Amino acid sequence: MARPARPETLAERWDARAPERQLLLWVLFAVGVGFLMVLGALPKDGIAVRALDLLAPLSFVLAFLGAHLLFVAVGFRGDQLLLALVAFLAGVGLLAQFRMGVYAAEALGLAHLVLPAGIGVLALVAVALMDGRYRPLAAGIWLWALLSLGIVCLVLATGQRFRGAVYGAGFITPTEALKLTAVLFAAAFIDRHAKALANWPGPIPFPPLRALWPLALFAALLLGLLLVQRDLGLVLILGLALLLQLTAGTKRVGYLVYGALVIFGAGWVVLQLFSHGQRRVASWLDPFADPTGTGWQVLQGLSGMYAGGLWGEGFSQARPRYTPIAESDFIYAVVAEELGFIGSALLLICFALLCWRLILIASRARSPFGMLTAAGIAAVLSIQTLLNVGGVTRTIPVTGVTLPFISQGGSSLLVSCIALGLVLAISDGEPKPVRQRKTTAKRAASPPRGRAGRLRFT
Amino acid sequence: MDLLNTLFQSTPWGPLRIGLHAVFLLAAAYVLKVALDLRSVMRLKHLAKPRAGFGIAAVLVLLGFGAVLVHQATWQLFGTTRPEFVAFMQLHDRRQFNPAHWIQRGRILDASGTLLAETRAVQTPQGLAAQRYYPFGPDFAHVVGYADPRFGTSGIEAAANVQLNGGKPESWQDWGELGRQLLAQTKRPKGHDVTLTLDAALQRLAMERLGEHAGAVVVLRPRDGALRVLASAPSFDPNQVDAEMFLRADPRARLLNRATAGLYAPGSSFKVVMAADALDRGFRGSIQCPADGWTTSGRYRKIRDHEYYEARRAGRTWRGHGRIGLDRALIESSNVFFAQLGVHLGHEAFRATTQRFLFNSRISIGEGDSRRQLMRTGRIPRIAASDRYGLAQASIGQGKVLATPAQMALIAAAVANDGIAPRPRLIASEAPSAVGRFMQQDTARRLRHSLRRAVAEGTGRSIETPGLAIAGKTGTAENPLGAPHSWFIGFAPADRPALALAVIVEHGGYGSAMAAPIARDLLVLAKARAHL
Repeated sequence: MARPARPETLAERWDARAPERQLLLWVLFAVGVGFLMVLGALPKDGIAVRALDLLAPLSFVLAFLGAHLLFVAVGFRGDQLLLALVAFLAGVGLLAQFRMGVYAAEALGLAHLVLPAGIGVLALVAVALMDGRYRPLAAGIWLWALLSLGIVCLVLATGQRFRGAVYGAGFITPTEALKLTAVLFAAAFIDRHAKALANWPGPIPFPPLRALWPLALFAALLLGLLLVQRDLGLVLILGLALLLQLTAGTKRVGYLVYGALVIFGAGWVVLQLFSHGQRRVASWLDPFADPTGTGWQVLQGLSGMYAGGLWGEGFSQARPRYTPIAESDFIYAVVAEELGFIGSALLLICFALLCWRLILIASRARSPFGMLTAAGIAAVLSIQTLLNVGGVTRTIPVTGVTLPFISQGGSSLLVSCIALGLVLAISDGEPKPVRQRKTTAKRAASPPRGRAGRLRFT
Repeated sequence: MDLLNTLFQSTPWGPLRIGLHAVFLLAAAYVLKVALDLRSVMRLKHLAKPRAGFGIAAVLVLLGFGAVLVHQATWQLFGTTRPEFVAFMQLHDRRQFNPAHWIQRGRILDASGTLLAETRAVQTPQGLAAQRYYPFGPDFAHVVGYADPRFGTSGIEAAANVQLNGGKPESWQDWGELGRQLLAQTKRPKGHDVTLTLDAALQRLAMERLGEHAGAVVVLRPRDGALRVLASAPSFDPNQVDAEMFLRADPRARLLNRATAGLYAPGSSFKVVMAADALDRGFRGSIQCPADGWTTSGRYRKIRDHEYYEARRAGRTWRGHGRIGLDRALIESSNVFFAQLGVHLGHEAFRATTQRFLFNSRISIGEGDSRRQLMRTGRIPRIAASDRYGLAQASIGQGKVLATPAQMALIAAAVANDGIAPRPRLIASEAPSAVGRFMQQDTARRLRHSLRRAVAEGTGRSIETPGLAIAGKTGTAENPLGAPHSWFIGFAPADRPALALAVIVEHGGYGSAMAAPIARDLLVLAKARAHL
């Protein structure tokens, strides 16, 4: 089985990433065209175009080109589709947020910095952890657990409530980081105890509690504390991601079955206890019962979509600001209003491609830890996207989660970028195995004793 | 910068912007195509073979996105199928370009194509807006209803809301039109017209003849239930719906559709029901009817015939009907006969009759796409077995018996239609059907004969018109609120009935005085309009 080594010369490396470059340039072209339309909308609202307004698109272009050049420079072998897809999503996000006035400040602000910084972090994480260097992350298993619980406790102790959710200092939402730390902990734990977790003794299929309890306790604590903060969306994302990781790591579909039972049971109890959740379910079932109250945001979003029709009014013609707080959770309604059904369908196809690619990378990662991490991240991003667009289109109740890469919100963007960087690093593969056949033989002979046994063949 | 600012404010920017919009969508689509094309180039050869099971996850995610898109389309593209959503947008959406503000609702037409409602563009302080217009104002207010973003919809406007908004494509042509509107993003989406069975000329005459009186007129075709007139007075102007109408407790109850929901004592017109039941049960005998009346017990006031009172007022004495049969009793509208007949047949028979005639229920007269339009039939509570006087009162359409004008018209239609009651229907495209058999065919034939004689030589002789052959029964319903209600139910021509009707004028006095002449005028016009 001959595997291509890392390209040696710069010319080879330049050629090797030609597909990524081709895609990226097309994406940047589309975003540029979109930005021209968005700029053209300003004079209509009585605002003159300033030189500062060009900063956002320029830094956007530079960030993505920089990331690409960095990949070329180090001979990155990772997936070539992800960067372009992220560029497309972030580009649409940039356009929509520009329309919503996020970049309207007089001077250079934090808003201008978030997106380029996020892309920079993405590239740096990918390069720093490539070539199998992501695997030491598995050693920090208890660090991830402590970090996860610490973040929740910290937010619970110091956070302030705003629009039904709890925020940390200012408008930073530290709980976003859980999407990384909890996934990493679960990946490391399942990797270490895969065999024990996959061993279901007894005539009646039931999970091995002796092996499972640390993970179960962690999940119960984490999700319970999140529930206290009424972050139902995050509970759903993390809970489902954890179950999927368990199933992927042990090949036991039973985990999903028992997990579904627990989720339904817990969901029912939660709905009995929290009026917050009840209201959302009620307004989902019948938004017209209270159209100017609980149904207002969803119905305004849908009204905008209906007004947008098939092709959309185009950036600059529509009035997305009539939907309350559209720049964060309801950004998808803005896109659907301005770009129409076609535009939003294109966006969803792009998301679907991204999810498919993440799942593909997970399924092909060489190390089980890499597979579990990528699977966790793929699950988090897919579920988060589905929860958001499903809520906006009234397919499911509104859960109040952001749309990855598109919604306003530095914490969410940064975490998504780091996660994508991590998956890119995993997709770069392992260092070229020198004596592959021999090591696998040795590995098969020696009893698997967790991580130590696996590290030996690197 | 100045260059950009000038460009954005220049005239070519308009078309240029639309071009950019198209380029953006095309470029986005092209990116996705290239991404799919480059799959083979971007194979991750240095990674392992795909593990099993992940494909299912990918398919599930794709299905999730598909479901979201489909559900989104039902709102974004086919929002007109949701009347509540359209109403919400018309009321609460400030986006002037939202097509919901511009839906050119379909017209509502009568059977011969007379316009009953249409949408017009009017100039308002906020700019041009679509407004519903009803050329005949109050005349059709109850049956056609109103459509107002603030106060919702009623009548046919409510029942056929989706079709009127254009949200119910019925043919390939309709689908094509909907597709064209979607593609072109037309700013004035057109709905579909709704044709009713009503006859505008008849309905307007009915309203005119009711005039200042409160009352109702129902005219329908016995053969298939097509409603020609469904009039209720007093009415309101659907062109000027305001909050005042709904807030104030209106002593005249203008919002009430008396034709389908007004509960009245039917008086003597109810004798048709009793006669039908007696004939169905094989009653062929005669009953002795004393001139000074009859009662079940000495404790109760005697039930007497109207001739007794007339004679007493004139200072004469009346000899009474003597022993008469059903036919004569119906022609002369004898209270004494029917009170005894009802008691003779008994409580159980009376209860079964009210059930067979569908009292205490609602019948759909307009199976709309969003809301059904219903008529009440009436209200007849169970009469206790010990209450014989109550049964005697009920048998002459007094006491606990209440019926709607639509129900009385339906009873007349059943007599005219060999005993089968047709389902009254308002929407022309609805298929005719029956709601049930009220009486045997033979009974209906005998009743047709008796009712013809009731007009020719009995209580209704004041409206006997050569060439019309009107058959019918008057009614004078005592009520605690004032003068008796004036009723007439009937059909014409008697030998092959083409129209059946019910007329009530509240506090109009004798049935022959107010209601019967209105019925005659309607039938005269109907004959002129070739309905008979």
